Amino acid sequence: MTERIQDIYLSNKSAKQEWMAFLKKRGIKNFAESETKLIEQTIGLFDEQDRLVATGSIANNVIKYVAVCDIGAHNKGARFNKIISEIESRLAQLNKFHYFVFTKPRYQTSFEYIGFKALAATEFGVILEKGTPNVDDYLDEIPRFDAGNKIASIVMNANPFTNGHRYLVEKAAKENDYVYVFVVKQDASLFKTAERLELVKEGTADLENVAVINGGDYMVSFVSFPAYFIKNTDKIIKYQTLLDARIFRTQIIKPLGITSRYLGNEPLSHTTDLYNEALQKELGAEIDVVIVDRLEVDKEVVSATKVREAIAEGDVNKCLKYIPSTTVAYITANLDRLQLRIKKGQRIDGN
Amino acid sequence: MEIKKTAIAGTLESSDVQIMLSAGSNGFEFDLESDVAKQFGDQIKETITKVLKMYDVKNAKIKVVDKGALDLVIKARAIAAVQRALDIVDAPKWEVLK
Repeated sequence: MTERIQDIYLSNKSAKQEWMAFLKKRGIKNFAESETKLIEQTIGLFDEQDRLVATGSIANNVIKYVAVCDIGAHNKGARFNKIISEIESRLAQLNKFHYFVFTKPRYQTSFEYIGFKALAATEFGVILEKGTPNVDDYLDEIPRFDAGNKIASIVMNANPFTNGHRYLVEKAAKENDYVYVFVVKQDASLFKTAERLELVKEGTADLENVAVINGGDYMVSFVSFPAYFIKNTDKIIKYQTLLDARIFRTQIIKPLGITSRYLGNEPLSHTTDLYNEALQKELGAEIDVVIVDRLEVDKEVVSATKVREAIAEGDVNKCLKYIPSTTVAYITANLDRLQLRIKKGQRIDGN
Repeated sequence: MEIKKTAIAGTLESSDVQIMLSAGSNGFEFDLESDVAKQFGDQIKETITKVLKMYDVKNAKIKVVDKGALDLVIKARAIAAVQRALDIVDAPKWEVLK
Protein backbone atom coordinates (compact mmCIF):
# COMPACT_ATOMS: atom_id res chain seq x y z
CA MET A 1 0.00 0.00 0.00
CA THR A 2 1.31 3.35 -0.91
CA GLU A 3 0.12 6.58 0.49
CA ARG A 4 1.53 9.74 -0.93
CA ILE A 5 1.91 13.28 0.19
CA GLN A 6 0.84 16.06 -2.13
CA ASP A 7 0.41 19.77 -2.00
CA ILE A 8 -3.13 20.99 -1.69
CA TYR A 9 -3.64 24.28 -3.45
CA LEU A 10 -6.41 26.12 -1.68
CA SER A 11 -6.81 28.46 -4.62
CA ASN A 12 -8.34 25.47 -6.37
CA LYS A 13 -12.00 25.53 -5.37
CA SER A 14 -12.77 21.83 -5.41
CA ALA A 15 -9.52 20.98 -3.60
CA LYS A 16 -10.41 23.52 -0.95
CA GLN A 17 -13.92 22.08 -0.62
CA GLU A 18 -12.58 18.58 -0.06
CA TRP A 19 -10.01 19.89 2.44
CA MET A 20 -12.63 21.88 4.36
CA ALA A 21 -15.05 18.97 4.47
CA PHE A 22 -12.30 16.73 5.83
CA LEU A 23 -11.41 19.21 8.58
CA LYS A 24 -15.02 19.96 9.48
CA LYS A 25 -15.68 16.28 10.00
CA ARG A 26 -12.89 16.33 12.56
CA GLY A 27 -14.11 19.32 14.49
CA ILE A 28 -12.09 22.13 12.89
CA LYS A 29 -14.64 24.62 11.71
CA ASN A 30 -13.04 28.04 11.61
CA PHE A 31 -12.31 28.96 8.02
CA ALA A 32 -12.57 32.70 8.48
CA GLU A 33 -10.70 34.65 5.84
CA SER A 34 -8.51 36.15 8.56
CA GLU A 35 -7.29 32.65 9.43
CA THR A 36 -7.00 30.98 6.03
CA LYS A 37 -5.29 33.88 4.31
CA LEU A 38 -2.27 33.35 6.58
CA ILE A 39 -1.70 29.85 5.22
CA GLU A 40 1.41 29.53 3.09
CA GLN A 41 1.40 25.81 2.36
CA THR A 42 -1.06 23.00 2.78
CA ILE A 43 -0.23 19.37 2.30
CA GLY A 44 -2.37 16.27 2.21
CA LEU A 45 -1.75 12.58 2.59
CA PHE A 46 -3.78 10.54 0.11
CA ASP A 47 -4.45 6.80 0.30
CA GLU A 48 -4.35 4.41 -2.67
CA GLN A 49 -7.92 5.30 -3.59
CA ASP A 50 -6.81 8.92 -3.71
CA ARG A 51 -8.81 9.88 -0.64
CA LEU A 52 -7.54 12.56 1.66
CA VAL A 53 -6.57 10.90 4.96
CA ALA A 54 -4.44 13.53 6.66
CA THR A 55 -3.58 17.19 6.28
CA GLY A 56 -1.58 20.01 7.80
CA SER A 57 -0.72 23.62 6.96
CA ILE A 58 2.00 26.15 7.58
CA ALA A 59 1.32 29.78 8.46
CA ASN A 60 4.61 31.52 9.18
CA ASN A 61 6.01 29.60 12.17
CA VAL A 62 2.72 28.02 13.18
CA ILE A 63 1.47 24.58 12.17
CA LYS A 64 -2.26 24.78 11.59
CA TYR A 65 -5.27 22.85 10.41
CA VAL A 66 -3.89 19.45 11.30
CA ALA A 67 -6.33 16.58 11.01
CA VAL A 68 -5.86 12.87 10.52
CA CYS A 69 -8.15 9.95 9.75
CA ASP A 70 -6.80 6.69 11.12
CA ILE A 71 -9.31 4.40 9.38
CA GLY A 72 -7.43 1.91 7.22
CA ALA A 73 -4.08 3.12 8.47
CA HIS A 74 -1.14 0.82 8.93
CA ASN A 75 -0.96 1.64 12.58
CA LYS A 76 -2.33 4.33 14.78
CA GLY A 77 -0.36 7.52 14.58
CA ALA A 78 1.54 6.61 11.44
CA ARG A 79 -0.27 9.12 9.26
CA PHE A 80 -0.03 11.81 11.86
CA ASN A 81 3.72 11.33 12.13
CA LYS A 82 4.08 11.32 8.37
CA ILE A 83 2.22 14.59 7.94
CA ILE A 84 4.09 16.39 10.71
CA SER A 85 7.40 15.03 9.38
CA GLU A 86 6.71 16.52 5.99
CA ILE A 87 5.58 19.82 7.52
CA GLU A 88 8.77 19.99 9.55
CA SER A 89 11.01 19.27 6.60
CA ARG A 90 9.22 22.01 4.66
CA LEU A 91 9.71 24.39 7.55
CA ALA A 92 13.39 23.43 7.55
CA GLN A 93 13.59 24.27 3.85
CA LEU A 94 12.17 27.68 4.74
CA ASN A 95 14.94 27.90 7.31
CA LYS A 96 12.46 27.70 10.17
CA PHE A 97 13.60 25.52 13.02
CA HIS A 98 11.32 26.83 15.73
CA TYR A 99 7.60 26.45 15.41
CA PHE A 100 4.35 26.29 17.31
CA VAL A 101 1.15 24.38 17.19
CA PHE A 102 -2.26 24.97 18.73
CA THR A 103 -4.42 22.04 19.29
CA LYS A 104 -7.21 20.65 21.34
CA PRO A 105 -6.22 19.24 24.72
CA ARG A 106 -6.82 15.68 23.58
CA TYR A 107 -4.07 15.88 20.95
CA GLN A 108 -1.44 17.20 23.34
CA THR A 109 0.23 13.82 23.90
CA SER A 110 0.35 13.04 20.17
CA PHE A 111 2.46 16.13 19.67
CA GLU A 112 4.54 15.46 22.75
CA TYR A 113 5.42 12.04 21.36
CA ILE A 114 7.12 13.72 18.44
CA GLY A 115 9.13 16.20 20.42
CA PHE A 116 6.76 19.11 20.98
CA LYS A 117 6.69 20.67 24.44
CA ALA A 118 3.60 22.27 25.92
CA LEU A 119 3.98 25.93 26.86
CA ALA A 120 0.52 26.29 28.29
CA ALA A 121 -2.63 24.26 28.46
CA THR A 122 -6.12 25.56 29.03
CA GLU A 123 -9.46 23.84 28.80
CA PHE A 124 -9.93 25.36 25.32
CA GLY A 125 -6.61 24.46 23.80
CA VAL A 126 -2.93 23.83 24.17
CA ILE A 127 0.03 25.68 22.73
CA LEU A 128 3.16 23.64 22.09
CA GLU A 129 6.53 24.49 20.59
CA LYS A 130 9.34 22.52 19.05
CA GLY A 131 12.82 23.25 17.82
CA THR A 132 15.31 25.91 18.58
CA PRO A 133 15.64 28.55 20.02
CA ASN A 134 12.90 27.54 22.44
CA VAL A 135 11.64 29.13 25.64
CA ASP A 136 14.66 27.88 27.61
CA ASP A 137 17.04 29.46 25.11
CA TYR A 138 14.99 32.66 25.28
CA LEU A 139 15.20 32.75 29.07
CA ASP A 140 18.94 31.97 29.00
CA GLU A 141 19.57 35.28 27.23
CA ILE A 142 17.84 37.36 29.89
CA PRO A 143 19.91 38.87 32.72
CA ARG A 144 19.03 37.48 36.15
CA PHE A 145 18.64 39.14 39.50
CA ASP A 146 19.30 37.42 42.80
CA ALA A 147 16.46 35.63 44.50
CA GLY A 148 15.03 37.43 47.48
CA ASN A 149 14.76 40.69 45.56
CA LYS A 150 11.47 42.24 44.66
CA ILE A 151 11.37 41.85 40.91
CA ALA A 152 8.56 43.51 38.98
CA SER A 153 7.55 42.91 35.38
CA ILE A 154 5.72 44.97 32.79
CA VAL A 155 4.71 43.96 29.29
CA MET A 156 4.15 46.80 26.84
CA ASN A 157 3.81 47.43 23.15
CA ALA A 158 4.92 51.06 23.57
CA ASN A 159 3.76 52.28 20.19
CA PRO A 160 5.47 54.66 20.91
CA PHE A 161 6.87 55.06 24.42
CA THR A 162 4.92 57.81 26.25
CA ASN A 163 5.05 59.54 29.60
CA GLY A 164 2.32 57.10 30.60
CA HIS A 165 4.67 54.16 30.05
CA ARG A 166 7.39 56.06 31.81
CA TYR A 167 5.10 56.69 34.78
CA LEU A 168 4.30 52.98 35.07
CA VAL A 169 7.95 51.91 34.83
CA GLU A 170 9.04 54.59 37.27
CA LYS A 171 6.45 53.52 39.81
CA ALA A 172 7.50 49.87 39.53
CA ALA A 173 11.18 50.86 39.75
CA LYS A 174 10.50 52.80 42.93
CA GLU A 175 8.49 50.06 44.58
CA ASN A 176 10.81 47.17 43.63
CA ASP A 177 14.47 46.21 43.55
CA TYR A 178 14.41 45.45 39.83
CA VAL A 179 12.01 45.74 36.92
CA TYR A 180 11.81 43.74 33.71
CA VAL A 181 10.15 45.65 30.91
CA PHE A 182 9.16 43.27 28.12
CA VAL A 183 8.46 44.90 24.79
CA VAL A 184 6.03 43.10 22.49
CA LYS A 185 7.92 41.51 19.60
CA GLN A 186 5.15 41.32 16.99
CA ASP A 187 5.84 43.76 14.20
CA ALA A 188 2.32 44.96 13.48
CA SER A 189 2.39 48.49 14.80
CA LEU A 190 3.16 51.91 13.39
CA PHE A 191 6.48 51.88 15.19
CA LYS A 192 8.61 48.89 14.25
CA THR A 193 9.77 46.49 16.93
CA ALA A 194 13.36 47.76 16.85
CA GLU A 195 12.12 51.34 17.17
CA ARG A 196 9.77 50.58 20.03
CA LEU A 197 12.48 48.65 21.87
CA GLU A 198 15.00 51.44 21.36
CA LEU A 199 12.59 54.15 22.53
CA VAL A 200 11.77 52.20 25.68
CA LYS A 201 15.49 51.74 26.35
CA GLU A 202 16.24 55.43 25.79
CA GLY A 203 13.22 56.51 27.79
CA THR A 204 14.25 54.44 30.83
CA ALA A 205 18.04 54.71 30.51
CA ASP A 206 18.32 56.76 33.72
CA LEU A 207 16.55 54.08 35.79
CA GLU A 208 19.35 51.80 36.84
CA ASN A 209 17.24 48.93 38.11
CA VAL A 210 15.26 48.52 34.88
CA ALA A 211 16.07 45.90 32.23
CA VAL A 212 14.37 46.27 28.85
CA ILE A 213 13.88 42.93 27.10
CA ASN A 214 12.33 41.80 23.84
CA GLY A 215 9.16 39.87 24.74
CA GLY A 216 9.98 37.21 22.16
CA ASP A 217 7.35 34.70 21.12
CA TYR A 218 6.10 34.37 24.64
CA MET A 219 4.39 37.64 25.54
CA VAL A 220 1.37 39.02 23.70
CA SER A 221 2.69 37.30 20.64
CA PHE A 222 0.79 36.91 17.42
CA VAL A 223 1.52 33.23 17.79
CA SER A 224 -0.66 32.96 20.87
CA PHE A 225 -3.61 34.56 19.12
CA PRO A 226 -5.27 31.60 17.49
CA ALA A 227 -8.77 32.53 16.48
CA TYR A 228 -8.81 28.92 15.54
CA PHE A 229 -11.14 26.79 17.56
CA ILE A 230 -13.49 29.46 18.81
CA LYS A 231 -15.99 31.60 16.97
CA ASN A 232 -17.35 34.13 19.39
CA THR A 233 -15.28 37.28 19.76
CA ASP A 234 -15.43 37.62 23.51
CA LYS A 235 -14.64 33.96 23.75
CA ILE A 236 -11.62 34.42 21.52
CA ILE A 237 -10.33 37.28 23.62
CA LYS A 238 -10.82 35.30 26.79
CA TYR A 239 -9.09 32.28 25.32
CA GLN A 240 -6.15 34.27 24.04
CA THR A 241 -5.67 36.29 27.18
CA LEU A 242 -5.91 33.20 29.35
CA LEU A 243 -3.30 31.48 27.21
CA ASP A 244 -1.00 34.49 27.31
CA ALA A 245 -1.38 34.78 31.08
CA ARG A 246 -0.77 31.10 31.53
CA ILE A 247 2.41 31.08 29.44
CA PHE A 248 3.65 33.93 31.62
CA ARG A 249 2.73 32.06 34.78
CA THR A 250 4.13 28.67 33.84
CA GLN A 251 7.19 29.64 31.79
CA ILE A 252 8.38 33.09 32.75
CA ILE A 253 7.74 33.87 36.42
CA LYS A 254 9.82 31.22 38.12
CA PRO A 255 13.01 31.22 36.05
CA LEU A 256 13.27 35.01 36.34
CA GLY A 257 12.16 35.19 39.96
CA ILE A 258 9.41 37.67 39.15
CA THR A 259 7.36 38.75 42.16
CA SER A 260 4.88 41.17 40.60
CA ARG A 261 3.34 42.35 37.38
CA TYR A 262 2.29 45.92 36.82
CA LEU A 263 -0.61 46.75 34.55
CA GLY A 264 -1.97 50.01 33.28
CA ASN A 265 -5.63 50.51 33.97
CA GLU A 266 -7.54 50.86 30.72
CA PRO A 267 -11.07 52.15 31.23
CA LEU A 268 -11.70 52.61 27.50
CA SER A 269 -10.67 49.32 25.95
CA HIS A 270 -12.81 46.24 26.44
CA THR A 271 -10.03 43.92 25.28
CA THR A 272 -7.45 45.30 27.67
CA ASP A 273 -10.03 45.13 30.40
CA LEU A 274 -10.54 41.42 29.76
CA TYR A 275 -6.78 40.98 29.52
CA ASN A 276 -6.21 42.62 32.88
CA GLU A 277 -8.96 40.48 34.33
CA ALA A 278 -7.35 37.30 32.98
CA LEU A 279 -3.93 38.32 34.29
CA GLN A 280 -5.32 39.05 37.73
CA LYS A 281 -7.10 35.73 37.86
CA GLU A 282 -4.22 33.71 36.48
CA LEU A 283 -1.26 35.38 38.16
CA GLY A 284 -2.88 36.67 41.34
CA ALA A 285 -2.25 33.51 43.33
CA GLU A 286 1.49 33.52 42.62
CA ILE A 287 2.62 37.11 42.32
CA ASP A 288 1.29 40.58 43.09
CA VAL A 289 -0.74 42.05 40.28
CA VAL A 290 -0.61 45.81 40.58
CA ILE A 291 -3.08 47.83 38.54
CA VAL A 292 -1.97 51.41 38.17
CA ASP A 293 -4.32 54.22 37.22
CA ARG A 294 -3.37 55.86 34.00
CA LEU A 295 -1.34 59.04 34.06
CA GLU A 296 -3.33 62.15 33.22
CA VAL A 297 -2.03 65.42 31.85
CA ASP A 298 -4.43 68.37 31.91
CA LYS A 299 -7.20 65.97 32.93
CA GLU A 300 -6.64 63.85 29.85
CA VAL A 301 -5.41 60.29 29.90
CA VAL A 302 -1.98 59.90 28.30
CA SER A 303 -2.26 57.45 25.45
CA ALA A 304 -0.07 56.33 22.59
CA THR A 305 -3.14 56.41 20.31
CA LYS A 306 -3.25 60.20 20.66
CA VAL A 307 0.42 60.38 19.75
CA ARG A 308 -0.17 58.34 16.62
CA GLU A 309 -3.11 60.54 15.68
CA ALA A 310 -0.92 63.61 16.02
CA ILE A 311 1.65 61.98 13.75
CA ALA A 312 -1.03 61.20 11.16
CA GLU A 313 -2.11 64.82 11.23
CA GLY A 314 1.50 65.97 11.03
CA ASP A 315 1.01 68.10 14.12
CA VAL A 316 3.57 66.83 16.60
CA ASN A 317 3.06 69.82 18.90
CA LYS A 318 -0.31 68.36 19.80
CA CYS A 319 1.27 65.40 21.55
CA LEU A 320 4.39 66.92 23.08
CA LYS A 321 2.90 66.85 26.54
CA TYR A 322 2.40 63.09 26.29
CA ILE A 323 5.88 61.93 25.33
CA PRO A 324 9.39 62.15 26.79
CA SER A 325 12.14 64.06 24.98
CA THR A 326 13.68 60.86 23.60
CA THR A 327 10.45 59.95 21.81
CA VAL A 328 9.97 63.57 20.67
CA ALA A 329 13.41 63.55 19.09
CA TYR A 330 12.75 60.32 17.25
CA ILE A 331 9.35 61.38 15.93
CA THR A 332 10.62 64.76 14.80
CA ALA A 333 13.52 63.18 12.94
CA ASN A 334 11.39 60.47 11.33
CA LEU A 335 8.02 62.17 10.82
CA ASP A 336 8.01 61.70 7.05
CA ARG A 337 8.79 58.02 7.34
CA LEU A 338 6.09 57.45 9.94
CA GLN A 339 3.50 59.33 7.91
CA LEU A 340 4.41 57.35 4.83
CA ARG A 341 3.68 54.13 6.73
CA ILE A 342 0.24 55.45 7.64
CA LYS A 343 -0.40 56.49 4.03
CA LYS A 344 0.58 53.00 2.92
CA GLY A 345 -2.17 51.57 5.08
CA GLN A 346 -0.67 51.09 8.54
CA ARG A 347 -3.55 51.29 10.98
CA ILE A 348 -3.09 53.60 13.93
CA ASP A 349 -6.16 52.73 15.94
CA GLY A 350 -6.01 49.60 18.06
CA ASN A 351 -2.52 48.80 19.24
CA MET B 1 34.26 22.57 14.30
CA GLU B 2 31.54 25.04 15.07
CA ILE B 3 27.98 24.45 14.02
CA LYS B 4 27.11 27.18 11.57
CA LYS B 5 23.39 26.74 11.25
CA THR B 6 20.55 24.69 12.60
CA ALA B 7 19.87 21.56 10.59
CA ILE B 8 17.46 18.68 10.71
CA ALA B 9 17.57 15.16 9.28
CA GLY B 10 15.31 12.15 9.48
CA THR B 11 11.58 11.72 9.87
CA LEU B 12 9.08 10.89 12.59
CA GLU B 13 8.00 7.70 10.91
CA SER B 14 8.32 4.29 12.44
CA SER B 15 11.90 2.86 12.53
CA ASP B 16 13.36 6.30 11.84
CA VAL B 17 14.82 9.06 13.97
CA GLN B 18 14.63 12.82 13.63
CA ILE B 19 17.73 14.73 14.69
CA MET B 20 17.94 18.51 14.97
CA LEU B 21 21.35 20.06 15.57
CA SER B 22 21.96 23.65 16.54
CA ALA B 23 24.79 25.73 17.91
CA GLY B 24 25.57 25.33 21.57
CA SER B 25 28.22 26.47 24.00
CA ASN B 26 27.99 23.88 26.70
CA GLY B 27 29.19 20.55 25.35
CA PHE B 28 26.55 18.22 23.98
CA GLU B 29 23.10 19.10 25.28
CA PHE B 30 20.70 16.30 24.48
CA ASP B 31 16.94 16.45 24.46
CA LEU B 32 15.67 12.97 23.69
CA GLU B 33 12.10 11.83 23.09
CA SER B 34 11.75 8.10 22.64
CA ASP B 35 9.45 5.30 23.72
CA VAL B 36 12.53 3.27 24.51
CA ALA B 37 14.52 6.04 26.18
CA LYS B 38 14.82 4.01 29.36
CA GLN B 39 16.40 1.00 27.67
CA PHE B 40 18.23 2.61 24.76
CA GLY B 41 18.52 6.31 25.59
CA ASP B 42 22.20 6.13 26.47
CA GLN B 43 22.99 4.07 23.41
CA ILE B 44 21.22 6.50 21.09
CA LYS B 45 23.11 9.42 22.61
CA GLU B 46 26.38 7.56 22.36
CA THR B 47 25.89 6.82 18.66
CA ILE B 48 25.18 10.47 17.93
CA THR B 49 28.01 11.67 20.17
CA LYS B 50 30.46 9.46 18.25
CA VAL B 51 29.42 10.98 14.94
CA LEU B 52 29.74 14.52 16.31
CA LYS B 53 33.20 13.74 17.61
CA MET B 54 34.25 12.33 14.24
CA TYR B 55 33.42 15.72 12.82
CA ASP B 56 35.29 17.41 15.62
CA VAL B 57 32.14 19.14 16.89
CA LYS B 58 32.53 20.10 20.54
CA ASN B 59 29.34 21.99 21.33
CA ALA B 60 25.84 21.34 20.10
CA LYS B 61 22.22 21.29 21.09
CA ILE B 62 20.83 17.97 19.92
CA LYS B 63 17.11 17.36 19.80
CA VAL B 64 16.24 13.76 19.03
CA VAL B 65 12.87 12.19 18.39
CA ASP B 66 13.41 8.45 18.08
CA LYS B 67 10.79 6.17 16.59
CA GLY B 68 12.61 2.91 17.17
CA ALA B 69 15.48 3.46 14.74
CA LEU B 70 18.27 0.93 14.47
CA ASP B 71 21.76 2.00 15.33
CA LEU B 72 22.91 2.32 11.73
CA VAL B 73 19.89 4.47 10.92
CA ILE B 74 20.70 6.75 13.82
CA LYS B 75 24.28 7.01 12.62
CA ALA B 76 23.20 7.82 9.07
CA ARG B 77 20.75 10.50 10.21
CA ALA B 78 23.35 11.98 12.54
CA ILE B 79 25.86 12.20 9.69
CA ALA B 80 23.29 13.88 7.44
CA ALA B 81 22.36 16.37 10.15
CA VAL B 82 25.94 17.25 11.01
CA GLN B 83 26.96 17.69 7.36
CA ARG B 84 24.09 20.10 6.92
CA ALA B 85 24.77 21.89 10.19
CA LEU B 86 28.43 22.37 9.29
CA ASP B 87 27.47 23.41 5.79
CA ILE B 88 29.77 20.82 4.20
CA VAL B 89 27.23 18.78 2.23
CA ASP B 90 29.22 19.46 -0.95
CA ALA B 91 32.42 18.18 0.62
CA PRO B 92 31.60 15.20 2.77
CA LYS B 93 34.25 13.88 5.09
CA TRP B 94 34.90 10.60 3.36
CA GLU B 95 37.12 9.24 6.06
CA VAL B 96 34.27 9.21 8.58
CA LEU B 97 31.83 7.59 6.17
CA LYS B 98 33.66 4.30 6.01
